[in-house]
Amino acid sequence: MMWLIAKREFRTRTMSKANLISSGIMLVVVIGGALIAKPFLDGESEATVLEVDTATAAPLIPYLDSAAAAQDFDLEVVEVDAGEEPAPSEGAAGVLVGPAEQPQLYLGDGNDALVSVVHGAAQAAVLDERISDLGGDPAGVGDALAAATPDVTVVGDTNDFDGQTFFAGVVVVIVLFFVLIQSASVIMMGVVEEKSSRVVEVLLATVRPATLLGGKVLGVGMYSLVQAATMFVPLVGAAWYLGFMDTLDVPAGLLVTNFAVWFVLGFAVFTILFGGLAALVSRQEDIGSITTPMMFLMMVPLYLAIYLVPNNPDGTATVVLTQVPFFAPFLVPMRAAFGTITTGETVLAIVICLVTIPVLTWIAGRVYAGAVLNTGGRMKLTEAFKRG
Amino acid sequence: MSILEIDALEKSYGRVRALDGVSFNVSAGEIFGFVGSNGAGKTTTMRIILGVLRGDGGQVRWDGAPVDLQVRRRIGYMPEERGLYPRMKVGEQLVYLAQLHGLSEADAVAAMEHWTDVLGVAERRGDEVDKLSLGNQQRVQLAAALVHDPDILVLDEPFSGLDPVAVAVMSEVLRGQAAKGVPVIFSSHQLELVEKLCDRVGIVKAGRLVALGTIDELRSTDRQQWTVTLADGDLAGEWPGVSVTAQGERRWLVEAPSRDAAQAVLASALSQGTVAEFTPVRPSLTDLFQDVVSDTEEGAHA
Repeated sequence: MMWLIAKREFRTRTMSKANLISSGIMLVVVIGGALIAKPFLDGESEATVLEVDTATAAPLIPYLDSAAAAQDFDLEVVEVDAGEEPAPSEGAAGVLVGPAEQPQLYLGDGNDALVSVVHGAAQAAVLDERISDLGGDPAGVGDALAAATPDVTVVGDTNDFDGQTFFAGVVVVIVLFFVLIQSASVIMMGVVEEKSSRVVEVLLATVRPATLLGGKVLGVGMYSLVQAATMFVPLVGAAWYLGFMDTLDVPAGLLVTNFAVWFVLGFAVFTILFGGLAALVSRQEDIGSITTPMMFLMMVPLYLAIYLVPNNPDGTATVVLTQVPFFAPFLVPMRAAFGTITTGETVLAIVICLVTIPVLTWIAGRVYAGAVLNTGGRMKLTEAFKRG
Repeated sequence: MSILEIDALEKSYGRVRALDGVSFNVSAGEIFGFVGSNGAGKTTTMRIILGVLRGDGGQVRWDGAPVDLQVRRRIGYMPEERGLYPRMKVGEQLVYLAQLHGLSEADAVAAMEHWTDVLGVAERRGDEVDKLSLGNQQRVQLAAALVHDPDILVLDEPFSGLDPVAVAVMSEVLRGQAAKGVPVIFSSHQLELVEKLCDRVGIVKAGRLVALGTIDELRSTDRQQWTVTLADGDLAGEWPGVSVTAQGERRWLVEAPSRDAAQAVLASALSQGTVAEFTPVRPSLTDLFQDVVSDTEEGAHA
């Protein structure tokens, strides 16, 4: 029964013209954007071509390759005959002539990174030569040098502001906020639509109010999930296609898991509650009296997650609010991004949410049952609860 | 035989007493007309039968057992305030509602096709309800009440806003359902229609059932009235217990306590002139309704 209601809810929302069109536009923009942007982004990351005079500078080539690798520089070496007046040919950044002791680099324009690579390569070549002259083993020296890198450990205040983590955390909670607020709005509009069209009386003659509300929550949940997926799968795909994923240095798996868990829990908490409350009004025009408190109830935790957590990731206020159902969906992922939440705290927050959901369902179901047949103005919450 | 019992329903909205012990029974195959002025409690009673509203007291029983969700799913209901999804197609909507009442998808589709055919909205199956005229929406609403082949029918004002053709179709459908053994309860302000269709009638006034019975039972009052019309001659005389309540030109309205007393009047009329007409006065439901409603109003004021 509930499944039937959820299915209808899902179908009418997904198949609505507005949704199909907006999803289509979104897809076209993301995919088209990625396809258009790809050549430009690739153009920047193309390998720098360095021409090397075969006659004089050929021995430097292996050193150039290893120096480029060490400096994370994308270098392509081309052997040429530089001739009397060396100049880089079309498409090349520079020409290298002369032996390692006295290399000469002719550049098309200033390219500090290339200079630095050539510099390193020449030094390494000279060093190897001298070590061999002195009867040493250049490879052993190289290994020893490579090993002599300091192992850095920061002691003391480790809570230094981490821009990238903060950014990733903020993205997760803001996306969560928008998905949740959208789902809650959809469900509220759905409840009021049924109420204002009076179809609810036909439905309630065969379905319990709690089943009806539950089916709506489930259907809208699936719809929101599909909508979020149609938004994010192309976005993530585009990011991967454009090579952004490799440059991200955040615990992406952890963030995605957190998003998934708190999407489900936050969704249940907010949509059940507001689905019930929406029954208090009879007309779409009056829905503002319900959306305003909803915005507050969702924005306060969002702001706390963005401002409180980075400044004070394990302060008392943060730790306590983490366990409050309406705050947890935003605070837990943010603290997880900062790595300051213990597994115990996360589990406790999830358990508290899971316990709250049936209680909320009961309250919301009662308010819904009490108010859903009332027509006219906005109904008082307490009155609806008593009638339900 | 199955019987729907409405037993001592009570309901208050704040200080307003909407229902004050409403009781009546409707047996299988019976068409029960529910009559009363606006706000008398008809809709409240029907909503409580459907469980859409919770009563403060009393019980609704089907086959002797309290009506639960399983039974309610077998009721066909047409609420006073019509309700369908405005942006959903007629066919899809009826199939959905049938499925909500427990029909399989195939049965639901077959039932939808049957009822849209019978009610003359078959060619509108693919249209959104919004696009239909009010009369056609009303037909779809009735189809929604019938589409799951209900065991009981509860219809709140099914005839309001229908054209005469639709009224005829709707009446035929109700008779057909009753003939199948379905108890039918409907409310209406169109009293001639109620008189024509219903086996029994209940008149509700300020939350109480003030009259209940077959139309004939309701019509037969303690002091029956008769009209006597003479073609010629005059009517004069004294008869035990009989009084002349009104007199026109060659036309008398007499009130007699019994059939025999009335016969005495007829006998003396025959002896005095040519009798053109001698008929018992049968009050119409409209007269009864007005009587009952104003009576209790006076009673309440006294």
